[in-house]
Amino acid sequence: MKWKFAASFLFLLVIALCLPGTALAHGAKIEYTVDVTIELLAAYDNGEPMAGAQFVVYAPDDPSTPWLTGVCDDEGRFSFIPDTTKPGIWDVQVRQAGHGDIVHIPVGEDAAVSGSTGGYTSLQIVLMALCVVWGSVGTALYFSRRKRRA
Amino acid sequence: MHIPDGILPVPVTAAGYAATAAVTWYSVRKINQQENPRREIPKASLLTAAFFVVSWIHIPVPPTSVHLVLNGLLGAMLGYFAFPAILIGLFFQAVMFQHGGLTTLGVNAMIMGFPAIIAYYIFRLRELGNKQSVRKTAIFGFLAGAVAIVLSVVMFVVILINFLPADLDIATERAAIYTLAIAHLPIMAIEGVITSLVAVFLQRVRPELLESV
Repeated sequence: MKWKFAASFLFLLVIALCLPGTALAHGAKIEYTVDVTIELLAAYDNGEPMAGAQFVVYAPDDPSTPWLTGVCDDEGRFSFIPDTTKPGIWDVQVRQAGHGDIVHIPVGEDAAVSGSTGGYTSLQIVLMALCVVWGSVGTALYFSRRKRRA
Repeated sequence: MHIPDGILPVPVTAAGYAATAAVTWYSVRKINQQENPRREIPKASLLTAAFFVVSWIHIPVPPTSVHLVLNGLLGAMLGYFAFPAILIGLFFQAVMFQHGGLTTLGVNAMIMGFPAIIAYYIFRLRELGNKQSVRKTAIFGFLAGAVAIVLSVVMFVVILINFLPADLDIATERAAIYTLAIAHLPIMAIEGVITSLVAVFLQRVRPELLESV
């Protein structure tokens, strides 16, 4: 009988020790970590994706050694998770057959939600192109006039 | 065929600028030796505009897309005016279209401008022999346009292949460069035909425009 009593006492003790742990705590602690995934989309200026282009990621602490290299998918997309212990400007170069671009991505306090390279709209480009063409036509007209007079 | 910023190492871009400066100097000197250096300016100006705009027109050649260059046409029509014209056109393309780059302006001017000068001499071969004929103009016009593109592509490939950064997967990049080079075969034919048509047209309508070069 004695060992049975001891066993049930021990059992109750274990339960008693376990229960208050959840029932009596008033403090709370929440931890979180953020994995910032940077997603990139590389396309040629005619809108065609840079499928299969190679990308090279450079961390801010060593801009000459690649931190990550890889290949874009068929839609010209790729993504990477930067090391947040290295805040600063991360450089990402995408290149294919001698064509490509470099984008500078701030990571850390100055992190931006989105960004891009280039940046003229089609309308701006058409307007600028027209200015250049008009400049050329004007030059041509000016000099052909001089020629006739002479 | 325009190499953008950040692709080539700095010494190569510097060498490109040096070569471009030398060829520009020589071209301007050649222009000044002409009887009336101003006479060609209207034509040069208009063809600069054509060169500038035409790179915006993309022609899909699967799996890539290419654009016309017209450096052969400029060479055949303008002679030594072609090099400064191409340099100016490339500058505006780099600034406005982000086609090419300012650091690579010298390299790109050599890639596109030097073959233009060669095209000029090819086109002048039609003057050999005693009889001027439309057929000769057509043939040498085609050759000028086509050879200029071939030379440009060869220079583009040689420069890129020799200065591939070690960070890249060399084999993949090399394959991509060759694919792009092969995609220029139709451009070669198209530019040859365009140069030939323009030359024949001018010879029939305004032959004095061709005589000056």
